[in-house]
Amino acid sequence: MLEFIISKYNFWLYVILMMIGLYAMLAKRNLVKKLIGMNIFQTAIILFYVSIGVKKGSVHVPIIVDSHGHGAQLIHAADYLNPLPHVLMLTAIVVSIATTGVALAVLILIYRRYQTLNEDEIIHIRQARQKAGV
Amino acid sequence: MKTIILAFVILSGGLLIYGTIDMPAWGDPHSPANSYVSPLYIEEALKETETPNIVTAVLADYRGYDTMGETTVIFTAAVACALLLRGWSEGRKERE
Amino acid sequence: MIWQLDLLILVFVIICALAAINIKDLLSAVIILGAYSFLMCLLWAEMGAVDVAFTEASVAAAVSTILFVGAVLKTTRRSKD
Repeated sequence: MLEFIISKYNFWLYVILMMIGLYAMLAKRNLVKKLIGMNIFQTAIILFYVSIGVKKGSVHVPIIVDSHGHGAQLIHAADYLNPLPHVLMLTAIVVSIATTGVALAVLILIYRRYQTLNEDEIIHIRQARQKAGV
Repeated sequence: MKTIILAFVILSGGLLIYGTIDMPAWGDPHSPANSYVSPLYIEEALKETETPNIVTAVLADYRGYDTMGETTVIFTAAVACALLLRGWSEGRKERE
Repeated sequence: MIWQLDLLILVFVIICALAAINIKDLLSAVIILGAYSFLMCLLWAEMGAVDVAFTEASVAAAVSTILFVGAVLKTTRRSKD
């Protein structure tokens, strides 16, 4: 039982991080808070993917040491970390900054039109404006 | 409303934790992710691309078109930001 | 891979995430999100993903925090939740 907990507690902490992000996205009424929740959710998922490539024991980071005389030397895959999750998550980080930038631009536009960032107040003002026929 | 959301979040978190029971142990060198495709990349990358850093070799050489598409994504986001914010400031000038 | 360091940084990351979504002042929340990104970068460097770590440090911790601070300064700092 203890061995089971030791081999899995990392995944449970990632799930707790994902739950924090999901709760912020759903329950918070402020739009900046929702964006912060989205960022936490994204980084939790990226963290999960990166941790898949981890190998316990004495392994190198995926940079080949002593690459000069590589004709003769043999490279053992067990000596290096798994590089594929790192590559894919590099792409995901860059895409996440793009979505954050566009979301912040839309947020500034919303504030200029409604003078608030609270979701309930925005819906209220919108309905009042529609009734007034603006 | 907040209790419904909290219940939904805890339910989804519980399902994810239930899913981790079948996963290989954390840091296992013989897990499926570490033993099928990646050994080929680690052993062949230096021979095929002459790059000591395997991450760079995969990112810029094996998946070069993917990285090019990613640049398109960044460009689209930058153009979208510029159009959104510029349109606002010009409209405000006209109103004033 | 040192599991004590790993667990310590993970607990710090979770504390930072809870603080970032619970604080009322938006500028403080955004700065705490920057600290969260740096701790996440430390966690990845500790896991051996050095390329991901310095991309996170330069892109998510620096550029994203600057964008957030700019947006908060252009809008409002106050928040009800």
